Amino acid sequence: MSKSEKKIVLKSLDNEAFEVEKAVALQSQTIWVMCEDKCVGNEIPLENVTGQILAKVIDYCKKHAVVDGDGDESSEELKNWDTEFTKNMDQSTLFNMILAANYLNIKSLLNLTCQAVADKTKTIDEFHTFLNIENNFTPEEEAQICQENLWAFDD
Amino acid sequence: MKDGGYRDWAGLPPELTSSILVRLDAIEILENAQKVCKSWHRVCKDPSMWRKIDMHTGLRCDGCYPRPDCDQCYETLSLSRRCYETMCRHAVDLSQGGLVEIDIWRFCTNSLLNYIADRSSSLRKVGLVMCHKLDGETLVEALAKHPLLEELDISYCSFPEESLKAVGKSCPNLKTLKLKTPEVTYNDDEFAIAIAQGMPGLRHLQLFGNDVMGNEGLEAILDSCLHLEHLDLRQCSGIQFVGDLEKRCYQRIRDLRMPHDSTDD
Repeated sequence: MSKSEKKIVLKSLDNEAFEVEKAVALQSQTIWVMCEDKCVGNEIPLENVTGQILAKVIDYCKKHAVVDGDGDESSEELKNWDTEFTKNMDQSTLFNMILAANYLNIKSLLNLTCQAVADKTKTIDEFHTFLNIENNFTPEEEAQICQENLWAFDD
Repeated sequence: MKDGGYRDWAGLPPELTSSILVRLDAIEILENAQKVCKSWHRVCKDPSMWRKIDMHTGLRCDGCYPRPDCDQCYETLSLSRRCYETMCRHAVDLSQGGLVEIDIWRFCTNSLLNYIADRSSSLRKVGLVMCHKLDGETLVEALAKHPLLEELDISYCSFPEESLKAVGKSCPNLKTLKLKTPEVTYNDDEFAIAIAQGMPGLRHLQLFGNDVMGNEGLEAILDSCLHLEHLDLRQCSGIQFVGDLEKRCYQRIRDLRMPHDSTDD
């Protein structure tokens, strides 16, 4: 990879183009592999990510990119930034961020977004309401699960 | 993929659902997550979900942490200890032998520890915090089956010195020992000397709150544990930093917490 090509263009599913520093984009293993393969030019099409989500992913990558060695904000600061970053995301954004982080293969972002969901939801009600998941067990299955989990009726 | 609106979380690929749920405490998984819907139930039964078992949610009171016990803590125990023990056995069964890390607060008994040790092929990290019902003999026997153990947390427990030494002998890869003991009294420096003799390979040692340990114990550790990088001596008020002891500590230990350092974290 030539050093002169410092910028790269990421193109979203809905054809939004983002010009970013290579160091920022290469945090994505998927993009890294694409660049290594030289199968793409300077413009990388990302067919699974919308512009709205890609913009957020790029925000994250910019914050986490180490640029010329002086990108070293304290880890405490970075942690706070991460917390703020996911704090007000609605469930739909989080869902798409998880899919995007997975597709782009950015491990730290996947960890962060999965952790955010785990932190927000703990009870059955929260899973059903925040995540909009329907209880699709049949009465027989529910009875069986109760049977398997008998500790609740222990002593 | 459109943004906004309804998302079918139940339709998330299983490996991503698993990546979320694996971050929950075992109690939350068994009591809640697995009862949410069919696809989550399947994910929660997969052995890959159970390489690590954390069982301390609701088993400690945040208000009084890190003090071990208070009335409030007991109130937060929503199920009886026997229920937690049954639940833990169930989680161990689900791991199908692949358990690597386990962290239990309060309720581990001798029979539960044996159950875990016998059904796991290679434990690397074990936490048995505030488990007063465990005895040293069982601890030694159980951990001897896991010679690749790297990290052990037996804070707020009370085991005889010889048990510490024996654990060290059977787990030569042990790199981290946590032994916070604010309300348990070891008699003198003997336990520190046992650690020094039995666990010379330690990298991380937390002795927070061992206020009966004096200079002799600390010096034994400095003499024997030559790879020690992190040493937490907070609240170890029995140490007198006279002579070159303090200098020696700072020279030897990269990350040193001194007796009067803040206990905020």
